[in-house]
Amino acid sequence: MTDGLAAEHQADAMQVVMIGLGEEKFALDAGLVREIIDPVPVTKVAGARAFVPSVINVRGNVIPLADLRIRFGMPQPEDSADTRIVVIEIELDNEPVLVGVTADKVYEVTEISQTDVQQTPRVGMHWKPEFIRFIAKWREEFVIVPNMERILN
Amino acid sequence: MSAMDPTEVFRQEASELFEVLEGALLDLGQRPDDRELVDSAFRALHTIKGSGAMFGFDKVASFTHEFETAFDRVRKGEIKPTQELISVALAAKDYIRTLIEDPQSTDDIIGEAILDDLKRFVSSDQPAAPVVEIAEAPPLAPVESKQAGWHLYLEFESHILRNGSNPLDLLEDLCKLGPCFVVPVTDGIPFLDEMEPEDCYLKWDVKLHAACDKDAIDDVFMFVSDEMKLTLSPLEQVEAPAPMPLFQLLDEEPAPVVEMSAPVVEAVAAPVAAQPVARAEPKLEAKPEAKPEPKAEAKRDDRGIATVRVQAERLDELMDRVGELVIAQARLTQLAASGSDLSIKMIAEEIERLASSLRDTTMGARMVPIGSLFGRFRRLIHDLSRDLSKPVEFVTTGEDTELDKTMIECLADPLVHLIRNAIDHGIEDTATRSASGKTEQGRIELAAVHSGAQVLVTVKDNGGGLNTARIRAKAEEQGLIAAGAVLSDHEIHQFLFHPGFSTAQTISALSGRGVGMDVVKRTIENMRGSIDLSTRPGQGTTVTLRLPLTLAIIEGLLIRVGEGRYIIPLSAVEECIELTAEDERSRGRNFLNVRGNLVPFLRLREIMSSSGTPDRHQKTIIISTGETHVGLVADQIIGNHQTVIKSLSKLHSDVTIFSGATILGDGTAALILDVAQLVTMAQSKIEKQHISEAA
Repeated sequence: MTDGLAAEHQADAMQVVMIGLGEEKFALDAGLVREIIDPVPVTKVAGARAFVPSVINVRGNVIPLADLRIRFGMPQPEDSADTRIVVIEIELDNEPVLVGVTADKVYEVTEISQTDVQQTPRVGMHWKPEFIRFIAKWREEFVIVPNMERILN
Repeated sequence: MSAMDPTEVFRQEASELFEVLEGALLDLGQRPDDRELVDSAFRALHTIKGSGAMFGFDKVASFTHEFETAFDRVRKGEIKPTQELISVALAAKDYIRTLIEDPQSTDDIIGEAILDDLKRFVSSDQPAAPVVEIAEAPPLAPVESKQAGWHLYLEFESHILRNGSNPLDLLEDLCKLGPCFVVPVTDGIPFLDEMEPEDCYLKWDVKLHAACDKDAIDDVFMFVSDEMKLTLSPLEQVEAPAPMPLFQLLDEEPAPVVEMSAPVVEAVAAPVAAQPVARAEPKLEAKPEAKPEPKAEAKRDDRGIATVRVQAERLDELMDRVGELVIAQARLTQLAASGSDLSIKMIAEEIERLASSLRDTTMGARMVPIGSLFGRFRRLIHDLSRDLSKPVEFVTTGEDTELDKTMIECLADPLVHLIRNAIDHGIEDTATRSASGKTEQGRIELAAVHSGAQVLVTVKDNGGGLNTARIRAKAEEQGLIAAGAVLSDHEIHQFLFHPGFSTAQTISALSGRGVGMDVVKRTIENMRGSIDLSTRPGQGTTVTLRLPLTLAIIEGLLIRVGEGRYIIPLSAVEECIELTAEDERSRGRNFLNVRGNLVPFLRLREIMSSSGTPDRHQKTIIISTGETHVGLVADQIIGNHQTVIKSLSKLHSDVTIFSGATILGDGTAALILDVAQLVTMAQSKIEKQHISEAA
C-alpha cells in the first residue's frame, strides 16, 4: 500500500528547491542540493570564466561559486537580506563536484508535477535552450528546471 | 577493524616478496658471486610457495616449487647465474605474479615453457660448472686447504618448537652434508617442575666432518636463522673418523679451550658435568663471532624495522583531518589574539604547538623512501638494454630520500618516460660510442636529494646530448618559431615539452611519437614541481625534477594584492624587497636591479585586475624556479602561513596561475600562486617586449 503510494508519488512528482534569480523562478532538483547557506565572503579568481568568478569556503572545502545570472545574461543586483548560496553536487567528467550557486531568494522545497511539464518553447526565450531541462507550471507560474550539468560545463 | 580478505593479504605480501625477488635477481646479474643475494631470492621464493599453498594458490605453489628446484643448483653454487639465466628467472617471477594477480590471463603452457628454459640453462651449464667452481675457488682456497670440517654450536630460542620448526630435522639435514658427531648440551634443562613442555632447552655441539661450504651450513638453518644462535668455526684437520678427531682437534686448539671443552665429551655420559661447557661457550663463540653477524643484519634489512600496514586511504583521511585542525587552530589563534583573555591565549598557543607537531608527524607517516620506486626501474633498464642491445649500467643514489607517498605514485610514469628516453635517444649504440672514444657500456644515473623544502630527482645519461639544431629545425618545421628567430639553447630545449613534438627520425616501439614529454611536464607541474633540462653535446643530458616535499601542507608567504590575499609557496621565495621609486618610474620596462642583476617583475595588481589604489610602498617578492628569478609586486606582505592545500575544482581548471587554494584564519579562501606559471608568464612577457623592441 505504502509502496504503491510512494511509487505513484515518484512517477509524476519531482522534489525541487525553488529559487529566485532576478524576476524568474528556477526549480533545482532537490536531489542535487546539499545545503543552503547564508552569503559568505568570496574570493575572486582572476582569469576564471565569468560565470564562476570566485571560490568560497564551505565547511573547510574550497568550492567554486557559480553565478547563473551571468550565464543567463541577467542583471546581478547586490546581495540583499534574501540572498543565499545553494550548494549543489553535480557530475563533471564523471566526478562529483560541489558548486555553490548564488540565489537572490530561496522560496521553498516543493514538488512539481511531471504532468504539468511543458515542452521547452523554441521561441520567446532569451536564453539558450540547452541550458533548460524543461519548464514546469507551479501555482499558475512557469518555472524553469535548469540543466545544471550543461550550464556549468 | 574490518576483516580483511585473506587472499588479498597474501597478494599484498606476495607483491612485496616479488620486489625482493626481482631486486635480488637483478643484483645477482651484477654480482653473481654474492651468496647473500641467492639466499634472499630463495627466501622470497620459499615464502611465496608456502603462503601460496596456504591460501589455495596451488598452481603458484607447484610452479614455484619447480622454479625452486631448478634454481637450486645456483644456490648450491654449482652453476653461476648468467645474464640469460637471470632473464629466464625474471620471466618465471613475472609468471608467478600473473598466476597470483590474474590467473585467467595466462596459460600453463607459458609456465611450462619457462620451466623448460630454466631447466635447460641449469642443466646445460653443467659442464661449465667446474670452471665456475675454480673461478670462485681462489678466495676460499686458503681456508679450504686447511679445513676439513666445521665445529658448530647451535642454540635455539626456547619458543622454536611452537613455530613448527623441529631442530632434530635440521640436525638431520646437517647430517646429510657429511658425517656428524652431535653432542647435546643439556645444561639449560631446568628442574622438572620448572619445565615448559613446549620449550626447547637443548643446545647442540656438532662436529661436521665434511669439506662443505659455510653457505651450505647456513642454508640448512636459513629459515630459522633469526631464532637461533649458530656459532661456526672450522675444524683444523681430520684424519681419523669421528669421534676421535674431536680430541685431536682440541689438542691443536689453544690450551684453555682444550681444558674447558674436554667435558663436552663427558657430558654425553654425565650431564651433571655440563657446567664447564657453559663457561666454554663464550670462548668458542668469540672467535667466529664475526661470521653470523652480517647474516643477522641482512635478515633484519629484509624485514625492515617494526612496521604496521595501514591502508593508504586512512593516511589520506588522517591528513585531511589534520588539515582541518590546522585551519581551525588558525582561527582560534586569530580569535585569541584579538581578545584580551590571557588564558585563552595560552591555550591557543598550546594548541598551535600541538597542531604543528601533529602535522609534522602525520606528514612523516606519509613519507616513503624513494628507493621503493627506483627499484622498479632496474627491471625496466634491464629489459630495455637487452631489447635495444645497448649495454647500460644503472646507478641509483639517494634511495633513502623520503617523499610523500602520493608523489611517489605520481612520479612513476614520468620517470619511466625519462629513463626510456635516456636509453632510446640519449645513449648511443655501441658502435657510435666506441667511435667517439666512450666506454661501450652506457650509464644512467637516477638520483634523489633533498634541497631545502624540495626534492631534486635527476635522470642523467652519458649519451650524445640533445641535438639543439635538430630540435630547432623541427620547431621551425612545425611552425612553432619563425625561421631565424633568436632563441637561447634553453628556450629551444623547451620545445621538447611541446605536445606532439618529436625529433626521433624513426618511431620505435619505445619512443618518438611525441607524446610523453609534455605529459611528463604536466604531471610534474601538477605536483607543483618543475622540470629542468641541461645537456652537453657528446657528454649527455641531465633532467632534473624539482618537487615539493609534500602535496598536502606547505609553508606559505601570505601577501595582499588590492583586496585579495594570496599565498606564495615559501620554498620558491628568495627574498622580499621594497620597490623603490626609481623602479616605479621604469614603467614599461619592468626590470628590477637586484644587486647588479636584472630581474623581470610582474605587477600582481595587473594580473589580478585589482581595483582601488595601490599602497604607497609596493613590495617585491623575488621568487625563483631553478635558475630563473622573477619579482612579484604586491601591496603588502602579511607573513608566514601554514598552508593546507585544497585543490581547485574542475570549473577552474582553465585558470593556470593558481595551483590551489587554502583557507585563512578568518575562514575566507585564499588562492595559492603557481610560481612556475608566473615565471613562464614573465618570460613570455619579456620575449614579447624583445620582439616589439626589435620591430
